[in-house]
Amino acid sequence: MTEPILSLRGVSKSFGSIKALSNVSLDLEPGKVVALVGDNGAGKSTLVKVMSGVHRPDSGQYLFEGREVHVSNPAEVADMGVQTVYQDLALCDNLDAVQNLFLGRELTGPWYTGFRVTRAASERRAKEVLRRLRLDSISLTRNVGAMSGGQRQNIAIARSILWEPKVVLLDEPTAALSHSAAEQVGDLVRELASHGLAVLVISHDIHHFVLDNTDRIEVLRLGRNAASFNSGDVTGEQVVNAMVGGNEAVNMAG
Amino acid sequence: MTDSLHPPMSAATPKRTLTERLGNELSFVPVAIGLVALFFFFATQSDVFLTSRNLSNLMVQSTVTGIIALGLVFVLLTGEIDLSVAAISGVASVFMAKIVMDFGLPVPLAILAAVALGGLVGALSGRWITLIGVPSFVVTLGVGLVLNGIQLLLLPRTGRYNLMNSGVDKLAATHVTGVLAWGLILGAIAIFALVLGSTWRARQRAGLDASFHGGVLLPVVVVAAFLIGMLMFLENQRGLPMPVILFLALLGIMSYITSETRFGTYLYAIGNNAEAARRAGIKVDRIKIIAFAIAGSMAAFGGILSASRSLGVSVSSGGGVGGGALLLESIAAAVIGGVSLFGGRGMVVGALFGALIIATVSNGLNLMGVANEARLIVTGLLLIIAVSIDRGIEKLARPGS
Ligand SMILES: Nc1ncnc2c1ncn2[C@@H]1O[C@H](COP(=O)(O)OP(=O)(O)O)[C@@H](O)[C@H]1O
Ligand SMILES: [Mg+2]
Repeated sequence: MTEPILSLRGVSKSFGSIKALSNVSLDLEPGKVVALVGDNGAGKSTLVKVMSGVHRPDSGQYLFEGREVHVSNPAEVADMGVQTVYQDLALCDNLDAVQNLFLGRELTGPWYTGFRVTRAASERRAKEVLRRLRLDSISLTRNVGAMSGGQRQNIAIARSILWEPKVVLLDEPTAALSHSAAEQVGDLVRELASHGLAVLVISHDIHHFVLDNTDRIEVLRLGRNAASFNSGDVTGEQVVNAMVGGNEAVNMAG
Repeated sequence: MTDSLHPPMSAATPKRTLTERLGNELSFVPVAIGLVALFFFFATQSDVFLTSRNLSNLMVQSTVTGIIALGLVFVLLTGEIDLSVAAISGVASVFMAKIVMDFGLPVPLAILAAVALGGLVGALSGRWITLIGVPSFVVTLGVGLVLNGIQLLLLPRTGRYNLMNSGVDKLAATHVTGVLAWGLILGAIAIFALVLGSTWRARQRAGLDASFHGGVLLPVVVVAAFLIGMLMFLENQRGLPMPVILFLALLGIMSYITSETRFGTYLYAIGNNAEAARRAGIKVDRIKIIAFAIAGSMAAFGGILSASRSLGVSVSSGGGVGGGALLLESIAAAVIGGVSLFGGRGMVVGALFGALIIATVSNGLNLMGVANEARLIVTGLLLIIAVSIDRGIEKLARPGS
């Protein structure tokens, strides 16, 4: 089995009297897609925010590439090579795909051009990245506001990998998508893993998205690890049972 | 990341529709068409309208509103508004007059100081708005009133500084003719062609689709026709009026800043989704403060031009208390020019067309002998039509339509 690149060990996090996470552990390995599933309020988003540096855990360890790290803000985590795509995508609808991909990190000319955006170089780089992700059908020059939900989701994901991270965290990338658009996102997620990235994806769509596109399924229930499955040898019913607490915590992962 | 086998390029990606382009880089086209229509209309109504003397007047009339609107566009793009621009123009022009007349400062230095003062006022408003998180229209309304008061305090007991023969008057009275005028116009066209040409060359070298005709030739021909036509028309009057030259120069610089630079991209990004901009690492507050500072200094410069044209400053400089018609027309010019009050949409060049429309309506109706009331009504209706067209285009550009 490959060494995990990012691991949480016994992480707990409370908001006042609400215990959002209790003693949760999780491993992400390069080239693997891990699904994080659980009922509403199970702590999935909180766990992602701990990994992305938005929240500091109350206790527990954060290991990156085998060493313990103490992260205090999202920028630090991004610099480490961990990118997060939140549910709201954070795209600017009045800008095109290239501008969104490079937003905040524009390629520019020298100061005496007033930091003129070097559009051609950006567009070429964007084209390369989209082609590598098999997203050639996305127009580079249309405003993203005029695009479909699936295309917007894919642009947000493409943006997260533009600077070649090692880990990508996706919070409910398929929640607002049609079935076919969700399938496209699934293809993209597997494509990322095939390039050696460690991917974590939160999804409620167990039967289609999760079983089809992930390697392992981690179930959270009431802020605790409830179960872990290899996606290949589990049925949707078993996963849902673990989510809602139908039977005791099981561990079927190899 | 390792590379994988590329699948063959899929079928051509969807091209941008006309509505999408009307919402972006062609946002000024409806208003430009409107302007041409107005020209035709007034030309049929008055023999004087199309004379070079009248058009020269009309253009000069539009410069003060136009320059103030130009700066305001920066603030509007970020989704904020500055209701103190007229007051800034008033107080800055009185400040300039005072330091020239009472303290004998050289005129260029006084102009620089007044423009800097305008920028400082704008920056302070912007700082306050971003720091406290209060709506910009309230803060700048207050700032405007404060400045109106300061303007009265700065004026002498007579309530007026006469700027005749002060040196300030030369600014608006100067006309550029002959070789110098042609040099300016051809230089401007050359710079414009260079900017577009460099974009085209870079795209071509990078192996991206690049249209020489649509991307370089057409815009350069249109701009060249406009500028050369204007020059030939005004040459047989008294030449290019300095206010027009300054307005067009500022317009060119500001267009470059908004459409070509990183800062310009940030203005649009913030206006559309400030939270996304913040998460992308953009210093949203700083960009907004700079936008307010630009609006403030442009407003001050507009005020100085106005003082130079009217040969003095008084209580009514800057549109009088509350900004009056000057404030409303500056906002209207930007909005008629296709700049959205909700932020993130519109172009700097809209300020030119908007200001020209307002000046044309006023000038044309005057020539027709129509009273002032009608002018206000027509301008108001044009404003309503302009925002409605804008809204319609925005709706059409959304997915699923
Ligand atoms: N910032 C916060 N402040 C207070 N409570 C929070 C906050 N974020 C999450 N919670 C609480 O923590 C629990 C887990 O939430 P969340 O991680 O969003 O669950 P999920 O994403 O699995 O639906 C919920 O009870 C939620 O109300
Ligand atoms: Mg959630």
